[in-house]
Amino acid sequence: MTTTTPFPFPPTYNFPPFFTPQPNTTTRHSQLEKWSSLIQSWCRHHRQYRLSLIDAVESPLFHNTALRKRLDLREARAVVDWMTKSEEEGGGGRRAEWISDAGGTSSVGLGNGAGQGLKTVAWIWWRRPEEWADVLVDWVEGTGQKGSVLTVYELIHGEGAMSQEFHGMDTDVMLRSLNVLVKRGRAQIFGGEGQEGVKFF
Amino acid sequence: MFFKSLDLTTALRPLLLPDEILLFVQDAVGLYEGVCYVAAEDPRKYSVAIDLKEIDRVESQAGFLKSSPKLTIYPKPQKKKKTDKSRSATASPAVAQQSVLQPTQSLSHIPQTNLQQSSLSPKPTNATWICPICSFSNPVPSNFDPATANAATNLPPCLACGIKPPFTTVLKAAISAVASRESPLLSSVASLAIAQDIDQPNANASLSHFGSGGTVPCPRCTFVNHPSLVECEICGAPLSAGSASANRVDSPAPLFEQSHIANTEVSESIKLSFRAGGDKTFHERLRGALVQRKWLLQNAPPVPSPSQGASEGLLSPVASVESTLPSAPRHSGVGIAGLERRGLEARKKNELVIGNAFEDLEALMASAKQIVALAETLARESGMTTNESSPETSAVLSESAAALGMMTTKDMLNSGSESLYLSELARDLAEYLTDDRKGILHREGGIMSLIDLWAVFNRSRNGVELASPSDFQKAAELWEKLKLPVRLRRFKSGLLVVQRYDWTDEKTIEKIQAWMEEIQRVPPDDPVPWDWSLFGRAVTAQEAAHRFKWSVGVAAEELEMAEDRGVLCREEGIEGLRFWRNHISSCGYRDFCRLAI
Repeated sequence: MTTTTPFPFPPTYNFPPFFTPQPNTTTRHSQLEKWSSLIQSWCRHHRQYRLSLIDAVESPLFHNTALRKRLDLREARAVVDWMTKSEEEGGGGRRAEWISDAGGTSSVGLGNGAGQGLKTVAWIWWRRPEEWADVLVDWVEGTGQKGSVLTVYELIHGEGAMSQEFHGMDTDVMLRSLNVLVKRGRAQIFGGEGQEGVKFF
Repeated sequence: MFFKSLDLTTALRPLLLPDEILLFVQDAVGLYEGVCYVAAEDPRKYSVAIDLKEIDRVESQAGFLKSSPKLTIYPKPQKKKKTDKSRSATASPAVAQQSVLQPTQSLSHIPQTNLQQSSLSPKPTNATWICPICSFSNPVPSNFDPATANAATNLPPCLACGIKPPFTTVLKAAISAVASRESPLLSSVASLAIAQDIDQPNANASLSHFGSGGTVPCPRCTFVNHPSLVECEICGAPLSAGSASANRVDSPAPLFEQSHIANTEVSESIKLSFRAGGDKTFHERLRGALVQRKWLLQNAPPVPSPSQGASEGLLSPVASVESTLPSAPRHSGVGIAGLERRGLEARKKNELVIGNAFEDLEALMASAKQIVALAETLARESGMTTNESSPETSAVLSESAAALGMMTTKDMLNSGSESLYLSELARDLAEYLTDDRKGILHREGGIMSLIDLWAVFNRSRNGVELASPSDFQKAAELWEKLKLPVRLRRFKSGLLVVQRYDWTDEKTIEKIQAWMEEIQRVPPDDPVPWDWSLFGRAVTAQEAAHRFKWSVGVAAEELEMAEDRGVLCREEGIEGLRFWRNHISSCGYRDFCRLAI
């Protein structure tokens, strides 16, 4: 989950008005786009798939200590809200998704979203499940594993996928990506909870 | 024809000569002049002034059924007393009073007038003045000429009680006597001198009148004389037509050519048709102006010094004439003593003028010209000697002089016509704003809030005829309609501001951007956590107000306007609201895209 190199913040991160919601619609749109890009690259850099806003507002992502500026929880929520909407709705192209089910979060290590009400934890789709599915298919085909059966654990933590981007991926995200492939008819999932296997066609 | 083209001010109103004042303004007036009718649609093109040194008589005709009340004005070129009537655009004629001749005119005429007056200045007059002490009716001295007399003129005492009369009493008596006298009774000298004041069109008038029939009617007894005669066969009155026309042929610059009125024919009278009423007041004021004849003062000589007047003793015609001559050489001493003496004389003269002016309201009006000149001189002197040390004093002085100038007041207008008052107020305001001497708008950075303007404007009216806020706003809303060089603008927040007509948001934004670039080149005093060479620094409304000389409210509105256009963006913090160049939607975006993929 951690990398040695520090995250390279974009120049706008040091621009004080960046942390103030802009009343001008055009400016506001660019501002949200930039925030969206920043959040995505931040999560990607840290291999983070879900973002808890409660924690994030204290992290360097939303808190610029040099400028002594921060995006408060409400503003951060507004940005993620915008990211969850599709572009047709004037949003950020569904680059995020709220995790509303508190039970779902408890199975993951970040579980402090429970009990905080709605809209505190969100998936950040720096790759959307459909895009992950494509990546998986490419890898499977590239390594000649078509028709073979792999466990989900193997996919995420296996040595064969060590160099791949989806190494160490969140299990929920992996399952959603595999489900996309199932719908496309490129894979089949079997097995029980926690021990799923997958067969690629 | 005595229509003259008219200079208009920026507010499309007649440009008055320094000492002219507005008497009355009335709209919806039709003008009949022979067959010519003037429709004033394009103000610049169709405005017309009746340069009427030459109105003689005014008759009014009441309205009957559908016919509007009319006023007929008869020109009498032989007489040199006249009101100057100016007509402004958009059918709001204004009557102005002329009290100054063109300098060239008066200069060229004085020597002649003077030459002849010395031989025949005692004119028969039957004026009388009433002694304020014993109320005995005294004859006005025969050599008392209201045009040239002044407070320094020696007056004979009352015949019954031996008390010297106040100057103004005699002046008023003489003026009313002159007013009641018929023009043909004037002496030949007067008419000759005046003939040269007449414009070319008048020469045409007399030529076409007299020349066509080959005969000359006597102006006094109306006997028709042979054209070659110089004097009337019956009564001996001089016939001015022949001699006057001879040297009028080459008189310069016929004014009718400048006029935009196509009619160059002579008309006997001018009819003004008052479609919206107001004829009575107009008539009254015009008559009042005719009776008062303030323009008589127009070529009155400078007031002679008391010492000179005293040394003359009793009136002798020649002496008095000489004393009225501006060109009369004054043998004052040279050197410091001379300067001192001249200063002393000037001070005494000023005292006299001020003293006289307040004796009587009428006299004040008659002395208005001198008082204004005095006020201006004082203002100039104080500005020169104190040299910025007391700008407020000189401002007050010059404003007091300006306050005597042209301002439309409610009672100058027909009380019924609210819209006319508003449009006149709008013009007043526009003139006030664009007046370069005051530079109101310039001082405020080209833009000021309506509230500020209202306060400043009312203060400049010295507490009289104040404009009410609602009238003021309505007048400001008329600017656009009247095509005046200022405009009213409403910001998003509802703040109303006044700007020059050609001032646009783009210009403001250009200014702001130039300023921002300037800021970006200057390193900040304290180290800042952001890259100042890329982002510059933030500005507040106060800084903008200081920089562009705007008021803070206006500056805040302008910055928000620029933000609205996407030029600036805001930062809210504990220091308050600050504005930055918009780096959010302009630069750095590409870096982001690169990072995101």
